[in-house]
Amino acid sequence: MENEGTEALKYVWKGAIPLQIHLHDSEVATLPPPPPVLILAPRIGYLPLLAPQIKPLFSSTLPPGDDTVWFEYKGLPLKWYIPTGVLFDLLCAEPERPWNLTVHFRGYPSNILAPCEGEDAVKWSFINSLKEATYIINGNCKNIMNMSQSDQLELWQSLINGNLESFLKVTSKLKLGAVDDDYSAKLYPTIKPLSDAGNTDNPGAKTGRIPVRLYARIFTKVFDDLEDAPEIDSWEKISYINRPIGLDKDEGKCFALSDAMKTLLPEYFGEGNNEKTTEAEVKEVHSEDADDTKDVEEATTSVGEHTETKQPSVSAKIKLIRIQGIEPKPEIPFSWVVNNLMNPDHYLHICVYLIHC
Amino acid sequence: MASESPSAVRKVVIHLRATGDAPILKQQKFKVSGTDRFASVIDFLRRQLHKETLFVYINSAFSPNPDESVIDLYNNFGIDGKLVVNYACSMAWG
Repeated sequence: MENEGTEALKYVWKGAIPLQIHLHDSEVATLPPPPPVLILAPRIGYLPLLAPQIKPLFSSTLPPGDDTVWFEYKGLPLKWYIPTGVLFDLLCAEPERPWNLTVHFRGYPSNILAPCEGEDAVKWSFINSLKEATYIINGNCKNIMNMSQSDQLELWQSLINGNLESFLKVTSKLKLGAVDDDYSAKLYPTIKPLSDAGNTDNPGAKTGRIPVRLYARIFTKVFDDLEDAPEIDSWEKISYINRPIGLDKDEGKCFALSDAMKTLLPEYFGEGNNEKTTEAEVKEVHSEDADDTKDVEEATTSVGEHTETKQPSVSAKIKLIRIQGIEPKPEIPFSWVVNNLMNPDHYLHICVYLIHC
Repeated sequence: MASESPSAVRKVVIHLRATGDAPILKQQKFKVSGTDRFASVIDFLRRQLHKETLFVYINSAFSPNPDESVIDLYNNFGIDGKLVVNYACSMAWG
């Protein structure tokens, strides 16, 4: 009866990244400096949620002032509304364990990061992401807006406590359902089919659209080992794409992860038939705000040039696709990926490394 | 799908709508570059209204994250050739 979630989903919910957190030198006001803190950070969680555990260990060494917690990795301030697992998959080309992060309690870089006032801000951001996903799936998000306060609280608590059972109980009322996946069972007979009780009384994912957030790192130089991947020093070097994937049931053809990538990044994978002159809208994630307009103008023209010159499109090479810490094969059915690797906000967060020379 | 736009569109018309006790702007429709982030729309509203705290929504429903591009939002949620952006001085839709 009850949807217990797939085996893979259980792994996703239990997934955690060992962090070694250092207090930034400029905030060490005592000698000797405090030792780094080792902590397991849930993949589906968000960095500011770790603050209550970390702060007591550093608070005695902090200089006077108000606390606003933020994290950085090799000088890059980390966006707090991106799930911790996605940050790790995206920024750590070769997974580093423990992952060495620096924590700050002073000097919030508000020119780069959106303000974050503790857990409430994270919860607000999560619920809004869920609402946005629901809008894509259902064409509206009434189900979330009509949720009772207690259900909403239970949903949030299930996320911060990593309680999948309770999460599925609350979200089954939202009727977001799973997508039909006829292919995985055929291709991989060992995989148990998804028994989604919620699906039978569900008119189905009404629009047939899957919400996707894609984070693309595009390299212009070939490298073999992931350790040789150039480091990121700015969010502007990451393309952030929000494009749903339509799952139309046509001719029983398997729609694979690689097909999804072509749909998401048409500007990099010209399939030869350019009847749909696909508009390249790769969006640079800008961090500066002040001189944005100028940058944006430049970005626009450069994108324009790309699309015009691309006719015999140079194909980019996918170096790596990472979802929830795993690197699925490109031929895996996309519906399996959706049903098993979806984030709790009902977005599929995909990290991709492209080589485009 | 329904909101599929002609691919040549690079500018997006944003329709700003005040909610609750938020002041109404004289000009409510703007053309914005599709490559702009949603953050630039929020900043614009903050400057226009001289308010630090603003709640900004799409289609009276949800608040997107500030990194999303206007063209992605338009393609996903645009209605009748516009992207409807609601703003409020206090939380309107949770």
